[in-house]
Amino acid sequence: MAANEKNSGGIVNWFDTRFPVTDLLERHLSKYPAPTNLNFWYLFGFLMIVVLAMQILTGLWLMMNYTNTAEEAFSSVEYIMRDVEYGWLLRYMHAAGASAFFALIYLHMFRGMMYGSYRKPRELIWVGGWVTYVLLCAEGFTGYVLPWGQMSFWAAQVIISLLGSIPIIGEDLATWIRGDYLISGITLSRLFAFHVVLLPIMIIAVVFFHILALHEIGSNNPDGIDIKKHVDKDGVPLDSKPFYPYDITHDIYALGVFLLIFCSVVFFFPEGGGYVLEYVNFEPANPLSTPAHIVPSWYFTPFYAMLRAVDFSLFGFTAKFLGFVTMAAGIAIFAALPWLDRSPVKSIRYKGILSKAFLAGFVVSFFVLGYLGAVPPSDLKNLLAKVFTVVYFSYFLLMPIYTRLEKCKPVPERAPGH
Amino acid sequence: MRLLFIILFFSSFSFSAEGDFNCGTIECDNFSADTTDLASLQSGLTTYMNNCYGCHSLKYSRYNRVAKDLKIPIEIYQENLIFDGSKPGELMNISLNEKDAVEWIGAKPPDLTLEARIRKPEWIYTYLRTYYPDASRPYGVNNKVYQNVSMPNVLEDLQLNLSAAEFDKVIYDLTNFLVYVADPSANERKRIGVYVLLFLLLFTSFAYLTYREFKKELK
Repeated sequence: MAANEKNSGGIVNWFDTRFPVTDLLERHLSKYPAPTNLNFWYLFGFLMIVVLAMQILTGLWLMMNYTNTAEEAFSSVEYIMRDVEYGWLLRYMHAAGASAFFALIYLHMFRGMMYGSYRKPRELIWVGGWVTYVLLCAEGFTGYVLPWGQMSFWAAQVIISLLGSIPIIGEDLATWIRGDYLISGITLSRLFAFHVVLLPIMIIAVVFFHILALHEIGSNNPDGIDIKKHVDKDGVPLDSKPFYPYDITHDIYALGVFLLIFCSVVFFFPEGGGYVLEYVNFEPANPLSTPAHIVPSWYFTPFYAMLRAVDFSLFGFTAKFLGFVTMAAGIAIFAALPWLDRSPVKSIRYKGILSKAFLAGFVVSFFVLGYLGAVPPSDLKNLLAKVFTVVYFSYFLLMPIYTRLEKCKPVPERAPGH
Repeated sequence: MRLLFIILFFSSFSFSAEGDFNCGTIECDNFSADTTDLASLQSGLTTYMNNCYGCHSLKYSRYNRVAKDLKIPIEIYQENLIFDGSKPGELMNISLNEKDAVEWIGAKPPDLTLEARIRKPEWIYTYLRTYYPDASRPYGVNNKVYQNVSMPNVLEDLQLNLSAAEFDKVIYDLTNFLVYVADPSANERKRIGVYVLLFLLLFTSFAYLTYREFKKELK
């Protein structure tokens, strides 16, 4: 930008000669060249930034009145709900915000899977996003424990005891994580520390990297074409438009639609039918009474179904450990996508019938497992969970084979309708 | 392709949840709360304080918050509905402690502030109306919704002195009050929510028009 050559005064110029504010803002925001063919699947990243900011702000205010001890945690949440001015709004926004964050990140990830956004040269962007997702799972889990209701306690009990299934070191590891032989106030206060300090800092750092890396490499698009191949004399891709005003107006319109849905939940259905706030969790934690059905939050139920689907031991490993490994693999395997996909094309639009079938199979298995993980098990459901766990993993594990076998359509040089 | 996904998406919801009766041995009766009906809430509060509060605290709620929300002048409230000399700003705790409760009645009666959120209101409404004589139980009564419940039929006198319809109304009001006290900000929340959504509709309309203008420019 050569801002230091300008002789005119002004505050902006003063800053630009010391730190390239204008250049930075133009490159990452106002003049960032976004492909012309982006569709509504490209709105969720922006919405997640808004939700992240909202979670940090509502979380900050909740923290001002929350008490992180086993004795006081539950009643401090009710104190927020009743005695703190608009405390109910903060709490409902934060709870619905967590569900919204997961809904958005799943849509965002699915977008990447459809259009091959993880392919070269965006592997690191994808892996960075995956790390954010894993951190978000940890953030969601730790936050869920804090109200110290029945489900908070027992979900923590189930999840942390899974670590106990690891051969040899398991029990000691679980005790080390809990800081106690059972879930207790000690566990609560350390999970609180993770939830409000460690994990948010890590999430912000990784999201920062994710966005920075994206803006350096440039966005993928629904056709998976490389828009940088055809540029004008200034080096700006021909099939691009500046973020301001073309994308920002689209994003703000999307924000309005999102907030309409979000605020409908917050103001009229704050429990979200038991999916945003679970009914059992309005009962204080009681280590002596186990709830009839322990279910995790809806955003973990697909993986919980995988855990329960593995009910057999193998090679001397317990079923619990194998289930735990399967569940962890279900989350971890997303990170391997850039190296599993061997297709000559990126986008599902130009991939063959096999890729489409396997992706459809993945979507169905994700929803079916999500349902199965939320309801009490039965023999039939357990069989279904096994079948769909296999379907889920086949999308990933068979990808190197089916992406090479199928016949792809030719990818156009330029964005459609340029 | 898109159609396929939409069909698959919805087909995955078509599993229906099976289950037992949702109210113990029977189906729940219909119940529709109306927390804007102050007369009903006041009647429910009175029933609660006179019949339930001896054993069941409302320990997350404060006396004066209930008085304010139910538009009961605090003096009248203090004179008629606070029996132990508590100050109006205090939490609605009871003097019955766990040790005595276990000794006298076998179990500690639960706090009911959040009962309407833990169980469904229709559960409470059905439960309180389905006591029946059963000589095998310590108090000579059992319950269709909550089998072998340890609570006696506290409202038996009311039940005997009132017509069925009158008694149903008493229980309706009581349940309505429990719905209110479980989430006392609900009325204010819905009132504000209407304005929030109206604003967002306006905001989104203009945001859409702006988006459309710039989109035209691109073509």
